[in-house]
Amino acid sequence: MKPLNLIALLLFLAGAMWALTRSQSVVRQIQVAYYTIISPTLTVGSALETKARNLLEETRHSKALETELSAIRSEIGRLRIIESRFSALERENKELRHALDFKKATNFDVVAAQIIRRHPATWWQTLEIDAGEDRGVGVQLSVLSNEGLVGMIDRPFKHRSSVLLITDEKCQVSVRVEGSPEVGILSGQRGHFDNPMLRLRFLSKDASLKPGQRVFTTGRGGIFQPNILVGTIDSVEKGPIDSEAVVKPAVNLSDLGTVFVVLSENP
Amino acid sequence: MLRYNLSTVVILLLAFLVQQFIPAFTGLSNARFLIVHLVFLCCAVTVTPPTMLLLALIGGTLWDAHSSLSQITGDPEVYTHPVESIRFGYSILLFGAAGYLMQGISPLVREGKWYLSALLTGIAIFLYLSAEFTIISFVRGDFVITRAVLRLLFYTSILTMLLSPLVFSILFQMAKFFDHTLYRTKGKARYRSA
Repeated sequence: MKPLNLIALLLFLAGAMWALTRSQSVVRQIQVAYYTIISPTLTVGSALETKARNLLEETRHSKALETELSAIRSEIGRLRIIESRFSALERENKELRHALDFKKATNFDVVAAQIIRRHPATWWQTLEIDAGEDRGVGVQLSVLSNEGLVGMIDRPFKHRSSVLLITDEKCQVSVRVEGSPEVGILSGQRGHFDNPMLRLRFLSKDASLKPGQRVFTTGRGGIFQPNILVGTIDSVEKGPIDSEAVVKPAVNLSDLGTVFVVLSENP
Repeated sequence: MLRYNLSTVVILLLAFLVQQFIPAFTGLSNARFLIVHLVFLCCAVTVTPPTMLLLALIGGTLWDAHSSLSQITGDPEVYTHPVESIRFGYSILLFGAAGYLMQGISPLVREGKWYLSALLTGIAIFLYLSAEFTIISFVRGDFVITRAVLRLLFYTSILTMLLSPLVFSILFQMAKFFDHTLYRTKGKARYRSA
């Protein structure tokens, strides 16, 4: 090997080692710098993608009507989430008054956001929304839709955020199964892109679950608020030590338009 | 040569901008055109090893900035089995390895057989994605491969490879513009395909 090539290789390896040993905060700074620089392109690219998606919709509205409809949909969704949240709390209050942690229910507000990009990365189940730190969005906040849990904020930037979907293997959710004492950890499955289902693990060995039973968040774990619908049981697989269940997501993640970020610091 | 090498850095940076406009084909298991990787691989076969490594360093760093996930910090008593993600910087090594693979056939390009490089870009993309998926499986402790994964690997490689003649054409035009010789035929310097 020529001396120049050898020196170049050593410098390259040194650079790679430097990158591999960076802390999470330095990586975050690099990502912020990267997205700041390409932000204008992202805006144009997102606008094009949104336009292309709108073209596929059957109903075509005038610009003014579309804007008004979008605003109304956002408001209805926001109100539905708040209503369902308070309904769930009211029911829980009646049943488990002595166990209810009131502090966790006092700070609940959501911000509506539009989806501007889908699947920007090869392997991760993510999407991007048009709400960022300028609207109070922070890291690991829950993201909901009218139907249920969508995921959580992975990387917030100034005017946009990346959302890690519940169908990604890395997004774990502590959940309970309605009408049963079963609790477990729900996550996506690697390599399932076309019709992603969730896997509910760490159920008891003799878990008595039926298809159709609803799955809700427990609120444990420090990320997701309690009583958010996540999906329904599709099938149960019993093992020698514990049981696992396949769960169908409540939200049709391929057809999302508006989502809501829960601006709550204490889940 | 210096101007051509600098222009490959610029075109790689431009590829990152173009990549933002490329959506995933959800009907093809989220396959996509990997413009960044394609431009890097095509450039890698036309430059010297030091320039290729510089491109790999830049490309790998920016690609990880583009796509790496944050760490999730849930309650460890509840989330007892956190799912690991691959570290920032791994793409640099993968870009370097893929670059060396392409360098292996640079003598053929100097002989004017650039179309073999076009074929190899598809293979290199397939190997790159396979290595990426293997690393993910390794850090997560189990190897699960599905038909959807195979479809993603296959379609992404094919789709990306189809664009390689276009990228080579651009590179040949750039070489001509900067008066840089990419290959020779019959003892005469050539800048672009016949």
